[in-house]
Amino acid sequence: MKLENLIILFVAIPMGTGVIGVLLKQRVQIARVLGVLSFLATSALAVGLLVHLRSHPTGILVSQMGAWPAPFGISVVFDSLSGLLLAASSLVALGCYVHSFSTVEPTAEKRYFHALVQLLMFGVNLAFLTGDLFNLFVSFEIMLMASYCLLTFGGTRLQMTQAYKYVLLNLIGSTVFVIGAGLVYGMTGTLNFADLALFVAERQAQGRALPPGFAALSIALLLVFGLKGAIFPLWFWLPDTYYTCNVSIAGLFAGMLTKVGIYAIARTFPMIFAHGGSDAAKIVMPILAISAAFTMFLGVLGAVSHHNIRRILAVHVISQVGYMVFGLALMTQIALAGCLFYMIQHMVVKSCLFLCCGIIERHTGTDDLDRSGGLLRRDWYLALVFFIAAMSLVGLPPLSGFFGKLVIVREGWDTRWWLSIFGLLTGALTLLSMLKIWSYCFWSPQAAAIERTPENLPNRGSLRPAYAGATLLVLVALFLGFGAQPVYEIAFRAGRQLADPDEYIVAVLGPGALDEVAKYRATSAQLAAGRAAEVTP
Amino acid sequence: MTIILSICVAVTFAVSIYLMTGRELKSIAMGVFLLGHAANLSIIAMSRTPVRHEPQLLKGAPILTEAFDAARPMSSIVDPLPQALILTAIVIGFAVMAFLLSLLVLTSRKAGTLNVEQLAAEAMQGA
Repeated sequence: MKLENLIILFVAIPMGTGVIGVLLKQRVQIARVLGVLSFLATSALAVGLLVHLRSHPTGILVSQMGAWPAPFGISVVFDSLSGLLLAASSLVALGCYVHSFSTVEPTAEKRYFHALVQLLMFGVNLAFLTGDLFNLFVSFEIMLMASYCLLTFGGTRLQMTQAYKYVLLNLIGSTVFVIGAGLVYGMTGTLNFADLALFVAERQAQGRALPPGFAALSIALLLVFGLKGAIFPLWFWLPDTYYTCNVSIAGLFAGMLTKVGIYAIARTFPMIFAHGGSDAAKIVMPILAISAAFTMFLGVLGAVSHHNIRRILAVHVISQVGYMVFGLALMTQIALAGCLFYMIQHMVVKSCLFLCCGIIERHTGTDDLDRSGGLLRRDWYLALVFFIAAMSLVGLPPLSGFFGKLVIVREGWDTRWWLSIFGLLTGALTLLSMLKIWSYCFWSPQAAAIERTPENLPNRGSLRPAYAGATLLVLVALFLGFGAQPVYEIAFRAGRQLADPDEYIVAVLGPGALDEVAKYRATSAQLAAGRAAEVTP
Repeated sequence: MTIILSICVAVTFAVSIYLMTGRELKSIAMGVFLLGHAANLSIIAMSRTPVRHEPQLLKGAPILTEAFDAARPMSSIVDPLPQALILTAIVIGFAVMAFLLSLLVLTSRKAGTLNVEQLAAEAMQGA
C-alpha cells in the first residue's frame, strides 16, 4: 500500500460520514458515535503522517486523482503546511464536536446537525489538501455552504436578521474568486499551484516579465482571501456572525473559517503571486504589512471595548489574524514558519476559549460580564482551563502563543520594526482584555447576584461532553507550548518550501519539471559571473 | 465574437451592480445571481486555444469535426477546461441560489420585512 493513497482519506472520511449522517436523521446516538470516530480517524491519520514524514527527504506526498499526470488532473498534496493544519483542524473539530453534545438543542440535532459539521470539515480538509486554484474555490464553496446552514440553524429572529450579510458577502467573494481563477487560467494556461509556481519561476529565470495584469489579478485574489480571512478592512462581517450562532459552532468557525482564508494566502502568494521580487510582491507586501498593523491593533481595541464574553472573543479573532498577516507580509522562510505555527496554535486556543465561554454561559445564563462572577469558587477546573487558554492567547512564555509571537516579532524587527512594535502593543492589550474576562467572571465575588432558579442551574452530567471537549483542546495547546520544538521543525520545513517552491514543483510535476528552469538559471549565473569578471580587473 | 462577449459581460456587471445597490434584499439577491452569470461569461470570453499545455486526449485521438485541420491541430479546437470550470461554477451557483432564496423566505417570515434598513434596525434592538 502506497502512503500517497492514504491522503485522500482526509476528504473521503468526512464526506462519507456526512452522507451517512443525512441518512441517520433520527438516530442521534449513532450519528454522534460515527462523527467522533470520523474526527478521531482524521486526527490520528494527520498526526501519524506528520510523524512518519519527519524522516522523509521532502515531506511532500502527492496523489494524482485517476492517475492523470499533474497539470491535467486533480492533484491532492499533503505537505508540511497542509499536514500541520489538517492535524490542528481535525483535533479542533473533534473538541468542538464533542462540546456541542451539551450545547446543541435536541430538536436541532435531528435536523442534519451532524451531517453539516462533517461536511464543513470535508470542505476545510479539501481546501488544505487541494493542489489547484479551482478546487480551492470548490472547497471554499462546500465549506461556506455548510457554514451558512450551521449559522442559521436555530432559525431565531436574531439569526435570520444577521445571516444575510454573511451569505451575500461570501457570495460576492466567491464570484470574484471564480473570475480570478478564470483570469489566472487565461493568462498562464494552468491552474495547478505547482505549475503556476513553475510558470513564475520560468519567467524569472528567463528574465522575462510576468503577463500584464498579473499584479492586478493577485490583488483581486488577495481581496477574496482577505475577505474570508477577515483582515483589515474586510473584517466587518465577523463579529455579528459569531455572535448569533450556537457556541460550539462559533468555536469551530473561529478555529476554521478565517484560517482557511489565511491558508489560501500562505499557499498562493509566497509561491506564485508574490514570489521573489516580482512586481506583484512590491505591491502586495506593503498592503499586507499595513493591513496587518490595522488588523492587529484595531481588532484588539475592539476586544477591549466590548463588555460581553462572546463579542470580546469574536473581535479578538480579528486581532490574532493580524499576527498571521504580519508573518505573511514579511514573506521570509522563518516568518512563514512563524505564521504557520501561529495559525495552528490560534485555532486550538481560540476554539478552546469559545468552548469555555459556552460552559460559562451555562453556569451564569448569560455572557454579559456585568452579570457573571464568582466562577473561580464554583468551578475551579473551568477556571484552570480558561486561564491556560487565555494565557496561551496572550503569549506568556511556556505557553504556545509565546513561540508564535516570538518568531514573528523577532523576524520582523530588522525590516519592519514598526509592525513588531504594534505586535507587542497588541500583546499587552490582549492581556488586558483577557484579564477583563478573568476578573469579572472568575475573581469578582458577584455570584449571589445571579438568580439560581432550577432552570439555569447547570446539570453536571449534561456538561460532561463540554468539559471533555475543552480539556482536549487545552491539552493540545499545552503540547504546542511545551512541545514547540518538534512542531517548529515541521513548520520551518513548510516555510522553506513556501519561500522556495522547487521541492514542491518537483514533487507534484515529476522529477524533470525543473530542467528548463535550471538551464536558464545556469546561463544567467554564467552571465553574471562573466560580468563580474569583466568588472573586477 | 470577443467584442460581443465583452459587451455582454460589461452590461451584465453593470446591471448586477445597479441591482445590488438597492435597499430590498430581493433586488440584492438578483444582483448577486447576475454577478455569477457575468463571471461565467467573462471566463468564456477568456477561453481560446490552449496556451500552456496541449490537452492529453488529442495525442493520436480522432477528432470529430469537419473544420479539423490536421496540419494545424491546435488552431481548430477550443480549450475544454474553461467550459468545465463554468459548468462547475453554474452547478454551485444553482445550489447557492436555492439556499439564498429559501433564506430570504425564512427571513421575511421571521422579521416581517426584507428591507435592509429595517433589518439593521431590528438587529440593533436584538443586540
